[in-house]
Amino acid sequence: MCHLYYAGQIQGSTRMPSANLNIAVVCSSNMNRSMEAHAFLSKKGFRVRSFGTGDKVKLPGTGPDRPNVYDFSCTYDEIYQDLLIKDKNFYTQNGLLNMIDRNRRIKPKPERFQLCKEKFDIVVTCEERVYDQVVEYFENRSTTDNASVHVINVDIQDNHEEATLGAFLICELVTLMSKSDDLDNDIDELLHDHESKCQRPILHCVLFY
Amino acid sequence: MAFHRSPAAQYFLDSENKNAASSSKDGDKTSEQKVVEWINEASLVSDTNRKIELLRMVQEFIIHKEPHILDNFLHEVVGFQIDKNAEVRKFIVGFIEEACKKDCELLPKVVPNLQILLQDSSPQVQKRVIQAASQVYKSTLAWVSKATLITEEMKAVWVMMGNIKKAIVDLVDSDNDGIRTHTVKFLETLVLCQTYPEEDSLQRENDFSLEDLPLGMKIARRRKLEEEALTLFSLMVKFHGSEHISSVNLMTCMGSLTLIAKMRPTFMGKVIAALETLHMNLPPTLSKSQVSSVRKHLKLQLLNLLKHPKATDYLTNITTLLTDLGATYHEVMKAYPKGEPVRRKPKRPAPAESEPSKKLKMDEIKKEPADDSGGEEERRGAAPSQGPVTETSIDLTEKYIVERLSPEFTADLVITAMSKLPDSMPSVFSATYTPIAAAGTQGQIRHVARLLATQIAAAGLGPGNAIKGKTPWKDFGKKRPLEEDDDDEDDPSASLIVEEPKTANLPAVIQMPSKRSRRSLKLNEITKPLSRENREAMSIAAVKRILVSEKSAIAGGILGLRCKMVATMATSFNPVIRKAILDHILSDVRNNLLLGLSCLYEEYAYLQSFKRLPSALIPDQKKRDQNYGNLLKAFVETLINKTDLKERDMLLFRLFLEAPLITDEVVDILKQLSSRDVIGLTILQELVIRRPPKQIVYLNALLTYTSHESTEIRGTAISYIVMLYDRGELRSIIEEYSVMYLDFLRLPQPPNVLFGAEQGRFKPVDTAAWAEDSIKACLYLYLVLLPANQKLIHELARVYVQTIPDIKRVILRLVEVPVRGMGMDSPQLLSLVEDCPKGSETLVTRVIHILTDKGVPSPELVAKVRELYQTRVSDVRFLIPVLNGLTKKEVIAALPKLIKLNPIVVKEVFNRLLGTHAEAGHTSPISPAELLIALHNIDPTKCELKTVIKATSLCFAEKSAYTQEVLAVVMQNLMEISPLPTLLMRTVIQSLSLYPRLIGFVINILQRLILKQVWKQKKVWEGFIKCCQRTKPQSFQVLLQLPAPQLADVFENSPDLKQPVLNHVMSFTDNQRAHIPQSVMDILIGPEQPIYPMYTVKNEPMSPPELMIDIKDEPSDDAKMKAAQLRPEPVQPTMEPAPPGAE
Repeated sequence: MCHLYYAGQIQGSTRMPSANLNIAVVCSSNMNRSMEAHAFLSKKGFRVRSFGTGDKVKLPGTGPDRPNVYDFSCTYDEIYQDLLIKDKNFYTQNGLLNMIDRNRRIKPKPERFQLCKEKFDIVVTCEERVYDQVVEYFENRSTTDNASVHVINVDIQDNHEEATLGAFLICELVTLMSKSDDLDNDIDELLHDHESKCQRPILHCVLFY
Repeated sequence: MAFHRSPAAQYFLDSENKNAASSSKDGDKTSEQKVVEWINEASLVSDTNRKIELLRMVQEFIIHKEPHILDNFLHEVVGFQIDKNAEVRKFIVGFIEEACKKDCELLPKVVPNLQILLQDSSPQVQKRVIQAASQVYKSTLAWVSKATLITEEMKAVWVMMGNIKKAIVDLVDSDNDGIRTHTVKFLETLVLCQTYPEEDSLQRENDFSLEDLPLGMKIARRRKLEEEALTLFSLMVKFHGSEHISSVNLMTCMGSLTLIAKMRPTFMGKVIAALETLHMNLPPTLSKSQVSSVRKHLKLQLLNLLKHPKATDYLTNITTLLTDLGATYHEVMKAYPKGEPVRRKPKRPAPAESEPSKKLKMDEIKKEPADDSGGEEERRGAAPSQGPVTETSIDLTEKYIVERLSPEFTADLVITAMSKLPDSMPSVFSATYTPIAAAGTQGQIRHVARLLATQIAAAGLGPGNAIKGKTPWKDFGKKRPLEEDDDDEDDPSASLIVEEPKTANLPAVIQMPSKRSRRSLKLNEITKPLSRENREAMSIAAVKRILVSEKSAIAGGILGLRCKMVATMATSFNPVIRKAILDHILSDVRNNLLLGLSCLYEEYAYLQSFKRLPSALIPDQKKRDQNYGNLLKAFVETLINKTDLKERDMLLFRLFLEAPLITDEVVDILKQLSSRDVIGLTILQELVIRRPPKQIVYLNALLTYTSHESTEIRGTAISYIVMLYDRGELRSIIEEYSVMYLDFLRLPQPPNVLFGAEQGRFKPVDTAAWAEDSIKACLYLYLVLLPANQKLIHELARVYVQTIPDIKRVILRLVEVPVRGMGMDSPQLLSLVEDCPKGSETLVTRVIHILTDKGVPSPELVAKVRELYQTRVSDVRFLIPVLNGLTKKEVIAALPKLIKLNPIVVKEVFNRLLGTHAEAGHTSPISPAELLIALHNIDPTKCELKTVIKATSLCFAEKSAYTQEVLAVVMQNLMEISPLPTLLMRTVIQSLSLYPRLIGFVINILQRLILKQVWKQKKVWEGFIKCCQRTKPQSFQVLLQLPAPQLADVFENSPDLKQPVLNHVMSFTDNQRAHIPQSVMDILIGPEQPIYPMYTVKNEPMSPPELMIDIKDEPSDDAKMKAAQLRPEPVQPTMEPAPPGAE
């Protein structure tokens, strides 16, 4: 595990003693949206991890029919090197290299949500399809201790600008949640307020480990 | 903190003891020491995170790494459950859970702690306990099941666990959303643990089911547990369908139900029905995005269910539902259960199928007692053959609907429902609506029927419901008697009774009713009665809120109910509330009239004892009876005083007509109002017609106002009475009343009823006298009725005779209009004229006058009058009105008497005869000429000459009738009469002065008179001379024709004529003069010498004193002047008398 990841965790615990929320941010490939939010939330001191739900890590290629596909076992660094070789100029232009560079500073490699054993309090998904996959996963996994988890979807388009904005919105939402004394009881109201404030539809459900 | 420190000390003691017995592993010692260190630090450290971290290390160590020392440290760790920080307590719960999982033998030691922690003040801890309880409960069941011998300890744990279970189930009603969520999860565990798995059940590791419970278990009986599970499942379904469930709870519950359906497919039908119901009845409290979350979740659950092999029985239901939720065909197909293509066809129970299956059930239930000894396996086998447990009321209702859902019926349904649609589309609808793809297909009709059925079943209606009974858990009890646990050695019929005492220390089966009763008891304990003031203030406040809620009531469509409710409160509650409601109604009577009437009817119902309050609630029976009257009175008075209200009249009207009963008191108020305001009269009139029972009262009240002083009120009252009179039924009363008033006139002084505020006039100081207004007051009504019922005229005649002259005069004046209305053809009037009671002649005369005033008298009337005149009353005045109906002869015969009357009457007579003031079409029996001639012919013995002169003067005054021509005719005719009428010459002179152009005609007359030897009648002769004087110089010709003696007589009487005549003669030619007889010439010249004409003398002509015209307004003076002026006209010597009118 990356050094930075732990640093974020410790920071969070000192800054926010009241709520030790364990947060997961999930997008499809654990590259852009989830990593943007991961970086942002970490900086704000939250205990956060990021994941992808897809089968593979997919990145845009030089043409629409030529995506770059990697296995989740590849490290960010390997992907970075690969792209660098493929078309350094192109991938610098569209910001991919810059993004992956940021990612490898946060953690070594993309993670798949379905493979993670850790239990979270909150799972934020960045796309409805991802939300569906998360819910699906929870339905099919065998229960252990019935610990509850809030799964919340915030729709974010998969581009740099939206990812930045989305990360901001997620942080705002998570901050609100961390301030609640009894999140389970307050969440409906909290989400409603946030939803009307940012004008984005939010999906939410509670699932159990 | 002493407790926290002691474990360390304890440890040292323990470890010393153990040192000898247990192994001498150093690692143990060091690890134990490590644990001690951590625990000590944890108890001292103040930072929560650190404390938890330490405890987590301890947990990791003693549970997973060195489980054998777990028991040693258990108490020390669990001791942290009283830590101030909720996070720490929460952690301890987790620790307990883990510990139990690891070693069931620890249960007796930790379950009590769990029970305490469940009561924790922090919801976080409570939630954690509930979460842990699932695991602990499973462990407990497993522990008990495995035990070969049930110890007292086990029993205690089991009882305690039961208590925890009960406490958690109660938490499903908690205020905290999270607690409810976890409770649902716990319920899920209970249901799963306490039911049997089936062959196609989804299997999970660590699962416990009833199969794992040994049969002979005393403390935990399978049957009991299963019954409990069924009850809990129903509770979950109920919770799932509750109206105000939060989205999180709902989704949790949905997930739990789905899981149950998958793991216990028996419940599949019920679960799907619940999901269907939910789909159509999403809680209204959900926000838009919550709705989409819930729908998404529902879709996901259904897709999950679809994958289950058992779902084939419900494929149609699920796929339709999924299509409604927007699932694509691809998604659905992907989830289809594999390898079962044959069973894809939905095994929906066809109508034909259902009958036998029901029968089968019945049979089985009947068989039950006999079958009881049979093996369990056999029965278990029988259960599935009954079909899914949830062959529910919904299915039956659905079938019922499908049979009837024809296009026509559907159209009717839609039209009926149309009016209930909201004005704008609710956002929930637009959010959830998906176009119907397969409209009209059999499948879709089925689906619609299914949807309707779920709605109908939810409302507790429909054929299915009727069959199944209402409470779902009762169904279970009835339906699955076969699955009773047969592990009982006792006689099953006695088992329940025998078991009772035993279950005392076992967890009682959780049942809704018991829970309820316990709750209400609690409520009674914790509440105490409010103080009286408080209670009243609150009830008034509540009533006031109800009163101002009219708009919401209208919006909700329960206006009628509200009305009824308020009315009930107004009548059966205490006076304070009664007053509040009354005030509310009176504050705006216009809008609250309906409410007011409801209250009135309610009171009326009590008044008439249609309704009775329990006697305890009636504080004062007497007052009760007055309530109605008081209420009505208050309404009426308020309305009357609201003079500024536009609709006041209409409202009063409605109130009087719609109130169930009009009390005497209110009638009095109405009477008072009537004396001021015509609306009162209008109401009275309507009341007479529409409220017959008290008709007479209202009629009398209305009649009173027919003699009112104010024209407006009297007029209105009379017009209403006439209207009522015309209706018929009340005629006699009205007539009697009018005659009664008429009879008042016979009294020496006016009766008191005519005066007072009600009549609008005040008693005069001089009470004895009849004043005009009081006389009139007695006549108004009568006179109006008279034309309608002419027989009444005889009453008037009867009364008239007995009245004083003042009254007579008024009567005569007032009778005009009605009599004119009756007309002269009225048989009653004719009969009055015919009878003419003694003393009523003036009345009769007046009547005849009125009748003939403006028209020709009818022959009947004339005949009656004539008869009366000839037989009984010889007063000629009777004849005047009918003069025009009489014959010429009769008129002439009556003339002498007529002209003797008062000059005004005479003038009236002449007017009638001459038709001067009558309208066109007037016919007179006598022409003007004939009249004048008749006057001249009146026998001087019958009538003085002077009277006749006056009469003729009246004729001359009527220039329109007596024109130049008429007078000429008259004169001509008079000339023929022999002897000549005395007044002949007067008439001639009069005519001449009126019409100077008649001069020629007059000269002619004079000449002819000479032939008639006019000088033989002295009066006429005087007139002749007079006339000659007037007509000079034309008359000279005539004078010269007189025989000499007469000429001398002329000159003697009128010497001033002599000279002019002489002069005239002198102007003749000799030849002409020769024609004049000598005798005449002698008289002219006589002894005297001819005299030169003297023009200087001018004598005013004088009538003989007897002929002086003495009627003032006669234009004779004027005429005389004119005549005088005529004289200087140049003489026309050769003038011949012209025929009348020829000039």
